[in-house]
Amino acid sequence: MAEVVEEQPRRRNRFLSGLLQNPVTVKELRSRMRGRRAFVVLTVYLTLMGLFITILYGLYSRAALQTYGPDPAQAGKAVYGAVLGVQVMLVVLLGPAFTAAAISGEKERQTYDLLRTTLLPARALVTGKLISALSYVFLLILAALPLQSIAFLLGGVSVVELVVSVLLVLVSAVAFALLGLFFSSLMRSTLGAVVVTFAGSLFLTIGMPAIVLVLLPFTSALFSSGPVQPWVQIALSYGGLSLASTNLPATIILSEVILIEEDALFFWSTTLGGRSVVLFSPWWVYTILYILLSLLLFWLTVRRVSRVPNR
Amino acid sequence: MSSIIEIQDLTKRYGNLLALDHLTLQVEEGAVVGFIGPNGAGKTTTMRILTTLLQPTSGQAWVGGYEVTREPDRVRQIIGYMPDFFGVYDGMMVWEYLDFFAACYGIAPQVRQGMIGDLLDLVDLGHKRDSFVDELSRGMKQRLCLARTLTHDPQILILDEPASGLDPRARIEMRELLRELKQMGKTIFFSSHILSEVADICTSIAILEAGRLVAYGDMAEMKKQLRAHRLIEVRVLGELAPLQAFLLGVSEVATVLAAPDVDLPPDTLRFDFSGDDVALSQLLSRMVAAQIPVVSYSEVTGDLEDVFLHATQGIVS
Repeated sequence: MAEVVEEQPRRRNRFLSGLLQNPVTVKELRSRMRGRRAFVVLTVYLTLMGLFITILYGLYSRAALQTYGPDPAQAGKAVYGAVLGVQVMLVVLLGPAFTAAAISGEKERQTYDLLRTTLLPARALVTGKLISALSYVFLLILAALPLQSIAFLLGGVSVVELVVSVLLVLVSAVAFALLGLFFSSLMRSTLGAVVVTFAGSLFLTIGMPAIVLVLLPFTSALFSSGPVQPWVQIALSYGGLSLASTNLPATIILSEVILIEEDALFFWSTTLGGRSVVLFSPWWVYTILYILLSLLLFWLTVRRVSRVPNR
Repeated sequence: MSSIIEIQDLTKRYGNLLALDHLTLQVEEGAVVGFIGPNGAGKTTTMRILTTLLQPTSGQAWVGGYEVTREPDRVRQIIGYMPDFFGVYDGMMVWEYLDFFAACYGIAPQVRQGMIGDLLDLVDLGHKRDSFVDELSRGMKQRLCLARTLTHDPQILILDEPASGLDPRARIEMRELLRELKQMGKTIFFSSHILSEVADICTSIAILEAGRLVAYGDMAEMKKQLRAHRLIEVRVLGELAPLQAFLLGVSEVATVLAAPDVDLPPDTLRFDFSGDDVALSQLLSRMVAAQIPVVSYSEVTGDLEDVFLHATQGIVS
């Protein structure tokens, strides 16, 4: 028994040290954090974020002085929402921007062949590139935490909301970074990889809601033309929630609304067409879907990198 | 000696283009093989297949006894590869560059420190240890890349045009380095366009043209094989006419070359001779007996350029 207790931390340490000693991670972080660029980006980011939150806080404070103005909790929610919005943009745009150039950049720089003739496994190459890109994105997210914590001083944000939003941001960061890495392994030029990656990221975040907006008039027409069958209502509810579960902004907003309005974290019951149905909150479906997507993208990227080309 | 590289019927097609056409070749352990041929002959393709970077269309290749498509990791363990074009990472110091690649070969951090110093001394870059790699000269980058190929102490070095684009000094330094590696017992398989360089350090040469091996063997043997006749140069006192008349009557003499047909002094001529050393010696005695005033009588040894021109037909260049 004692052996088992000792073995577990050792294994965990080995896993962690393996991640941190990955030569690609070490090289990328060393290059990225060397010089002023990384620190200038961090400083500019925090300055802009601070200014944005100050303006937002100022507007809410002024409004709160008026009769029937917003209470501090609303200001807290606004601050939290604003920081979360910036984090979403970071994981959707910045993470893939780093990873889209990760492998295609090696090809363009003519260092890819040098790497491929070493004993570095394709899995370690992909993991190293992923961790180095994510670590900078996570650094930006963590650096903004003190600003985000102003929301807790004002109130209006629960721990559950915080945990759910952090989980969604983390899962999305990994998935979108892997999307960039996959296209980077697929394409020869960085420009091509960046264009395709951004097209994919924007489709997943903006394209899906756009499609819903286009389809919305048809469903409205369906409801206004007369009584709708209960099964159609149930199917539309499940379909809508499922579609929302594929999109990060929709998932965050809907999960928040369901948490506040229905006080439900996972499931809630409602009546549709006279029938009682159990509906789900999108955040956990989104989490499962994006973890599966991440695993698939990781596998495809490793396969692509380990493949010996024909040309 | 056993073959450390063995290529059997290797063929590579890029669409309709046949880059390698049933190439068969063996390289012995400890040999230094110069792989020469015109541009597009298939040298880089062969090297990329041997270094597990490219799939052959058909045929097989073994490096150190390991089949390149079936056991790529084993092959990578025993080879050091330097491509013809390679890049370096920006914002990376010389020691970090070697440390990174040594780590990629799974060499422990405590071993890497000492090894990096030794490698930098070997390629004469010890003083550049803390310089950034992108600030090095072309020659230094080539030497650093060669040091990189040695991080895991491979048995075989596969070097694609290691001296291309270098100035004369850097080229000499590279040649000296290859000679040092040869003395260390490494098997070196390298391609080059600079034939004098190949002739200087190689134990054998392989000539490739249009994807086919047109000549392969020991340097001295190759020269013999590719020149059926020996070229003899004779200088005489006075007129060449008596000597020309004498040589026309010798059965082993094929052609006689003299000015103004060839660029030779007026008292010198060359002739193709098909006999052996004994016949060559007897011919000199007969010349002297015929009272031809011979001043010098010697065989013109062909250089690698002659061998190359004889073997290739300029199909792809």
